[in-house]
Amino acid sequence: MKKLGRLEFFWAILIVITLFNTFLGEQFASTALVSVLVSITVMYKGLVVIDYFMELKHANKNLRWLMRLYFIIFPSMIIATVFF
Amino acid sequence: MNNDHVDNTLGIFPRSWSEKYAGRIPGNIPIWVGILSELTEFGIFFVAYFIAKYHYPDVFSKGPQGLSTSIGVANTIILLTSSYFMAKAMMHIRLDERDKCQRYLWLALSCGCCYLIAKTWEFYWNNLQGLSTSTNEFYTVYYYMTFNHFLHVGWASCAVLWVIFRLRAGQYSAKEHSGLEALAVYWHMIDLMWILIFPLLYVLR
Repeated sequence: MKKLGRLEFFWAILIVITLFNTFLGEQFASTALVSVLVSITVMYKGLVVIDYFMELKHANKNLRWLMRLYFIIFPSMIIATVFF
Repeated sequence: MNNDHVDNTLGIFPRSWSEKYAGRIPGNIPIWVGILSELTEFGIFFVAYFIAKYHYPDVFSKGPQGLSTSIGVANTIILLTSSYFMAKAMMHIRLDERDKCQRYLWLALSCGCCYLIAKTWEFYWNNLQGLSTSTNEFYTVYYYMTFNHFLHVGWASCAVLWVIFRLRAGQYSAKEHSGLEALAVYWHMIDLMWILIFPLLYVLR
């Protein structure tokens, strides 16, 4: 029952973050702060799906490391766009 | 003769990568070869996006304003929900609750179909606005990325249907469901790609 609740919790968090990011994009001009916030939240969304939906948290550490690396590199590139 | 170590993996990876040393591989090795190939393909798209954005900052700043944000948000929620349903299906097959597992697989498939319908409508709506692959560099990247993702959702939805038929045929149980799990991780990978695509094309200016 505890695990049941955790899936629903993360699903709700992912939806809230999606709506928050959309709000940021719609209401504010593209600033460094918006890009950094979007980048961090996208990174968090990716890590949640990898760990709890794909269930890699306690699975093969190499696969988990590769997937997490992907969701660190590309959101970081969003932050890098602030500087050009 | 020493037969105490029987390795049933493909035997093409270093031993330190094996399940014995690094932990369980969800699904099977072939699906992960596929997933990592797909991640590479989408990775090239993302790199192309950043290079194009570097060269055409004004075009990429105005591009998202021409798209329907509401359809983009709807598709994000649909795919996140489909991932949730897929995770629930996995949970129920582990409990040997095949009926519940099947119900959640149908729900995940419904989400996949909703996504495909919404995306088709979005492409049609874009067409009415006069947008196409040749409008500017932003829309070239947009169509490459989103149509490719559209195809992935399409064939993964067909795979969900196939898995449902296999489940109904009694091929999966609490003990053996690696095929179902392989589809689940592939489905989550598709959701992950949309998690990256959505802010790049619809949110960031």
